[in-house]
Amino acid sequence: MSVWIFSDAFLITLFSFITVAISLNLEAGFTGIPNFGKHVFVFVGAFAAQGIGVRIAAWIYEKVEPQAAQQALEHLRSMVPGATWKSLVGAAADVDANRIVVNNYLRPFFVSHVGLEALLVVLLLVVTVALALFFGLIASYAALRLKEDYLAILLLSFAELMVMVLFYQSQSLNGGNQGLWAITFTSDPVKFALIGSGALAFISYLYAERLANSPMGRAMRAVRDDDVAASVFGRDIAVIRLKVILVSSVLAGLAGFFFIQNAALSTSMTFNRVIWTFLPWAMIILGGMANNLGAVVGAIVFLIGKRLFEYYQIPISNALHLGSSIVSALLPNIFIGIFIIVILYALPQGILPEKPSKTVKFEEILESEQGEEA
Amino acid sequence: MSEAPMIEVRELNAGYGRFHILFDVSLEVEPREIFIIVGPNGSGKSTLLKTLFGLTKVYSGSVKLEGRDITRIPPHARAKLGMAYLPQVGNVFAELTVAENLKMAGYTLEASELEERIRDVLEVFPFLKQKLNAKAKTLSGGQRQLLAMAMALIREPKVFMFDEPTAGLAPKAAKEIIDKMLWLRKEKGKTIVLVEQNAKLALEIGDRAILLVSGRVAYRGKASELLADKELGKKYLGLKG
Amino acid sequence: MSILPSLPYTLDALAYASAIGLLSMGLSLTYATTKVPNFAQASIAMFGAVTLLLLIDRYYYYHPGWSVFLAGVVLGGLVTGAVAWLVYVTVLKPLADRGNTVIGLMIATFALDIIFVNVLTAYLDEAHGVHIPKLIGASITSFEPRLHIGDYIVYGYTIALPITAVVLTVIFHLFLTRTKFGVAMRATIENPDLASVLGVNVNLVYMVSWFLSGFLAGAAGALMAYTLKGVDPSAAELIIVTVFAGSIVGGLESVYWGLIGGFIVGLAEKLGMTLLNNFYRDYFVLKWHAPNVSLLNYEKFMSLGLVVVMLLYAPRGLAGIDWGAVARRLGLRRGGGGR
Ligand SMILES: Nc1ncnc2c1ncn2[C@@H]1O[C@H](COP(=O)(O)OP(=O)(O)OP(=O)(O)O)[C@@H](O)[C@H]1O
Ligand SMILES: [Mg+2]
Repeated sequence: MSVWIFSDAFLITLFSFITVAISLNLEAGFTGIPNFGKHVFVFVGAFAAQGIGVRIAAWIYEKVEPQAAQQALEHLRSMVPGATWKSLVGAAADVDANRIVVNNYLRPFFVSHVGLEALLVVLLLVVTVALALFFGLIASYAALRLKEDYLAILLLSFAELMVMVLFYQSQSLNGGNQGLWAITFTSDPVKFALIGSGALAFISYLYAERLANSPMGRAMRAVRDDDVAASVFGRDIAVIRLKVILVSSVLAGLAGFFFIQNAALSTSMTFNRVIWTFLPWAMIILGGMANNLGAVVGAIVFLIGKRLFEYYQIPISNALHLGSSIVSALLPNIFIGIFIIVILYALPQGILPEKPSKTVKFEEILESEQGEEA
Repeated sequence: MSEAPMIEVRELNAGYGRFHILFDVSLEVEPREIFIIVGPNGSGKSTLLKTLFGLTKVYSGSVKLEGRDITRIPPHARAKLGMAYLPQVGNVFAELTVAENLKMAGYTLEASELEERIRDVLEVFPFLKQKLNAKAKTLSGGQRQLLAMAMALIREPKVFMFDEPTAGLAPKAAKEIIDKMLWLRKEKGKTIVLVEQNAKLALEIGDRAILLVSGRVAYRGKASELLADKELGKKYLGLKG
Repeated sequence: MSILPSLPYTLDALAYASAIGLLSMGLSLTYATTKVPNFAQASIAMFGAVTLLLLIDRYYYYHPGWSVFLAGVVLGGLVTGAVAWLVYVTVLKPLADRGNTVIGLMIATFALDIIFVNVLTAYLDEAHGVHIPKLIGASITSFEPRLHIGDYIVYGYTIALPITAVVLTVIFHLFLTRTKFGVAMRATIENPDLASVLGVNVNLVYMVSWFLSGFLAGAAGALMAYTLKGVDPSAAELIIVTVFAGSIVGGLESVYWGLIGGFIVGLAEKLGMTLLNNFYRDYFVLKWHAPNVSLLNYEKFMSLGLVVVMLLYAPRGLAGIDWGAVARRLGLRRGGGGR
């Protein structure tokens, strides 16, 4: 069992969720921004490695080794008549052909050109950050203007539409409902994903802790707790919210980027609101809102619990006399839903409640803000 | 033994969620008296009335109505036990018509009785007759205050709790309201708890009074004695010495 | 090709818009009373759809007829109303009493949404032993009364849904204005403290508002099964976006404007997007050789677009617009004084 719990795939999932939970906690727990559209922010990182990453990789491949590329294309045409590089890497891709392109041609090419590979990794990280910032800007535009419940609804709608319509229904951008293979790196992409997501989770935690204990962190909590302050110091509140959203979006996007390094083939439906919005919320509620360690603990406890449940799912569904396999496949979600309601009832403050903090005077907030900017 | 006090409050601590406003407040209101609550702005007078009606969070202490513990029962049940309350703000439904407001005021009454009572209060506040189908938000501030008063009078409860009923009224209307209260007590034998900004006016008609300062009782006793107390009057009530 | 959509398509769009209108109306009702945005509104409606399915399966299969719509609306509404009532009594009220904030309650409705979708999917699977959407969809649409008008077939639900929306709205309006409890509900929406000190059991009002919201959702959900061509509980995941859009366009707290907002958004998604698509096809694609893509996949952008426009220009929704002033500006009404 120990082997199973600490499999690489599990750890990568765990690290990714820790990062996302920490980032959601910065928004929702500390600053009071109820981001119900978290999944789209995670998705941008995956999109950078899939729809965008594969296209860029193919373009580089064609430029650097035109002859090999041409030969590969001819070979692929035996599978997909009339294929072009453009059709193979993106629009309405045949998943098998797309897999062969990515795994048999593009990846080996980059593995043997370490310099180009490093360049591509950096480039795609930059793309992830840029996309995350762009989506974060859109979200903050709404966050500065709306009451929390309106904001939650709007962010959810926005994310649903982005993920489901633009990337899912449309065949052209991210492989539609068939999905795309992401471009993955190094000869051992799982290790790459493991190290990347682990380092990211660690850095996120350190960063969030530093932020929470800084004057900026206290200002964030003041924004959350005090509408009066929000109206008196309107401009500074706006700056704080904007910063938090941008930072959180980038963290979530990077988490998505490393996560997809292991999950390789996926549709944008992988990034649905149950998995990448509801679960992180469940984690921070379980762990304790506005507590970074709480987010980490929540993610760990939650994912291990979920794993155990899935492991014993067959016996459980047998015990409940649930016949079909479809039903038992639906069981985890049902239990997660019930579980979170029970947590809200039994432990409204979570496992690790927010540490009480000294109340700050508004002048201090203002000063700290200026200090941060200077 | 004489009859139990109409309202008996013991060591009451209450507030809004995490905001603790009232500290160890105790008081007794006897049947058929006019009981005055005065104090500076923000001292917790409205909070005290709200607490008597179950609209705040009680941390400890108790509230009794005629000897019966009502600390934990919901507001609508208190209304049925014979308490009426005229809030300081938000005391009419702006989006409802005047007629609907009056009907709501008699929510606990039978339909036939309600009609009769509405007719009665319309005699007392005749201007409302022309406004029955107008939304309350179209009334002037003073008219709204009078409508709220009418609403408080529709049921015939044992205890009336008025939170600054004369605020925003012309002196003549304010006097009418005060007279109405004296009449309620004298002719109908009602008990009245009155919060007033105009301390002098209130203390003159009141039997007993408390002075609230920062959520604590700073004086308790005869209304006339509080009125005569130069020091307290000057310090907290803006009464000339 | 004509830009205008065909008659059956137009009727289908009207039916869809009516259903969304009812759902948005229910959503606005529970938001107005209990201040909880209910993320489970669309999945709750699926109880109505499942009820209809069982009705057809057990009875109308052998006795097809127009009364299927009435039975679906009434039974679907009652079942769903009961579910919504239970949601409030067993989940939301206890959570609120434990000190959870609006955010906590929203998460709870989010959780309920997941539970409902999965439980209903599992139930259908257990009950029928077939994989849900296609077979059951077929069984619904083939047991549907229809009219033949000239060359067109007019499906029963395209008549039944708009009529249901109108009738339920009229009944609801009479309830709110003519009954004591209905007036108390409006009073509670405006000022729950005042209502309670006058003797209104506010908690009962809240329970009833959840029941009514569920009834509206279930009635709409039952007939919406026809416009969705089958009963697939996971369809709720996208519908909720449209329902919220309708409610926000209406102003979120106003019941009647919620209905109108939902209707507008529903129409915009179906008819609006079709018009746009046909226009694009006829002018941009045929004349200027723009890429030949179907805009119909993007119908949800209509609802998001309307929400964004609304939040930017009229943050309080249609309900917050001073229609008198608008009429005066358009020259429809003279005079400058207020109401
Ligand atoms: N809903 C509320 N939530 C939190 N604090 C409140 C709330 N209402 C009032 N307070 C606080 O409670 C304290 C007492 O307020 P209250 O309205 O009882 O004063 P008051 O004596 O009636 O004043 P006034 O004479 O101005 O009417 C004030 O500090 C006020 O800020
Ligand atoms: Mg007051």
